[in-house]
Amino acid sequence: MKKIFYYFNIWILMSRNSFMSYLSNKLVISIFLIGKILRFIFFFAFIYFLISKTKNLAGYNLNQTIFFFLTFNLVDITTQFFFREAYKFRQLLVTGDFDLMLIKPVNVLFRVLMGGADLLDFITIPAIFIAVVIYGKFLEPSFFQILIYILLMINAFIIAASFHIIILAFGILTLEVDNTIMIYRDLMSLGKFPVDIYLKPLKEILTFLIPVGLIATLPSKALMGLLTTRVVLFSFFIGFFLIFVSLKFWAFALRKYSSASS
Amino acid sequence: MKKYLTVFKISFAQEFAYPINLIFWRIRNIFQIILLYFLWSSVFENTSGEIFGYSKEKILTYIFGIIVLKAFVFSTKTNDIAGDISRGDLVNYLLKPISYFKYWFSRDIASKSLNLVFSFFEITILFLVLKPQVYIQKDLLDLCIFLFFLLLAVFLFFLILMLTNLITFWAPEAGWSSQFLIIIILSEFFSGAVFPIDILPQFLQRYIYLTPFPYLIFIPLQVYLGKVETLVLYKSILVSFFWIGILIILLKLMWQKGLKRFEGAGR
Repeated sequence: MKKIFYYFNIWILMSRNSFMSYLSNKLVISIFLIGKILRFIFFFAFIYFLISKTKNLAGYNLNQTIFFFLTFNLVDITTQFFFREAYKFRQLLVTGDFDLMLIKPVNVLFRVLMGGADLLDFITIPAIFIAVVIYGKFLEPSFFQILIYILLMINAFIIAASFHIIILAFGILTLEVDNTIMIYRDLMSLGKFPVDIYLKPLKEILTFLIPVGLIATLPSKALMGLLTTRVVLFSFFIGFFLIFVSLKFWAFALRKYSSASS
Repeated sequence: MKKYLTVFKISFAQEFAYPINLIFWRIRNIFQIILLYFLWSSVFENTSGEIFGYSKEKILTYIFGIIVLKAFVFSTKTNDIAGDISRGDLVNYLLKPISYFKYWFSRDIASKSLNLVFSFFEITILFLVLKPQVYIQKDLLDLCIFLFFLLLAVFLFFLILMLTNLITFWAPEAGWSSQFLIIIILSEFFSGAVFPIDILPQFLQRYIYLTPFPYLIFIPLQVYLGKVETLVLYKSILVSFFWIGILIILLKLMWQKGLKRFEGAGR
């Protein structure tokens, strides 16, 4: 418990520094914020006008499709809020500054993964959260469905964390971080819509092999009462398995690390 | 002309200096197309008719058309200008006996050529895997008008991107953020690179058609699909030329004013 508080305090400190760094340039942050909000609105409008006309998408009505989209955004933005520092990892590796982190009395993975919370996402998360609650109410879920939804969202977050850890470990071994992280994000963006729109075997690949479906689609389906207990348990197993594998891979990569400049 | 041909050749060769970046960039484009392809296939799953005036054949052609047009119109090197201005590297170019605009346009053409080649490979692979029904335009006149609009789109995008980069003269720190807003968000959505503009309500479409963005992707693809009436065609040409004219004037103005403001910091 003491250790959790220790790391929580460090995270607050690092996040405060990160926010202050963002706020030092208000013009840039305002432009990025406007861009992010517009992108969300445009995509939302696209879904709204499309499904208003066609009445359904892969068997889902307008409210359900919007809920899939909102859930995807909630996971995506929350992940970026916590793990934004991962985007700067390559710079640490090529300059050798990663060495300085290794000697500090803080878990190095925690530092490179969560060392700089994103202020822009911090601003947008509440709005997305409120939208998820509003559209979730339209689906009239039971208490149990809401509970499974929350648990699967936590699982989605763990899976997303695993992928970020794998990308960082891969970065240590190959110095390639920026492209892999963007590929990861593009893959995740396939979950903007329910994975049911994809044909077999792509649907299975996106559900189980590259678990985009587990991150974005399954929580929403749970809230709609469309999941069997077997699938829910399997998705928790995948979450556990991935975090285990990613931590092992990180430990392996760390042993192979050879400093760049020192 | 010869020196710009040399710039083209060097720039083309430079693209291969970081092949991984190029390959990853192309893979990213494929993911976006896969999402749109399956989304629209799903929309047409239970209907054999038209939706928003598109048959399944035409909408899938539109999706595949996005790959080619994005490779041709949106591929660019000009986005490096913001960095040149903020770092003061612009000085190096000002001292050389070349036109700064022609230099970057030559580099853009090199980037477009390479991306276009890649896009044809991607389309071939996607065709073999997905086997979509597509619409082949056989009317030679429509094809010529399509190519004409494509050239206008290249000029328009170059001007928009140039102007966006020149903002850095006044706000050196806002180079990437202004490109994010104007190029990645506004250009992509309003050009029809994410979805066809005509699925939006009429009143929204009317405003969007007044901007230069639909003439980058949407209108050329509409011409290819044979969906543009003669009157709209003339109107589109007029609006495109209007914007090219306005943007050239703005570019000259911003360039002159910007250079006066430029300090070449650190040089």
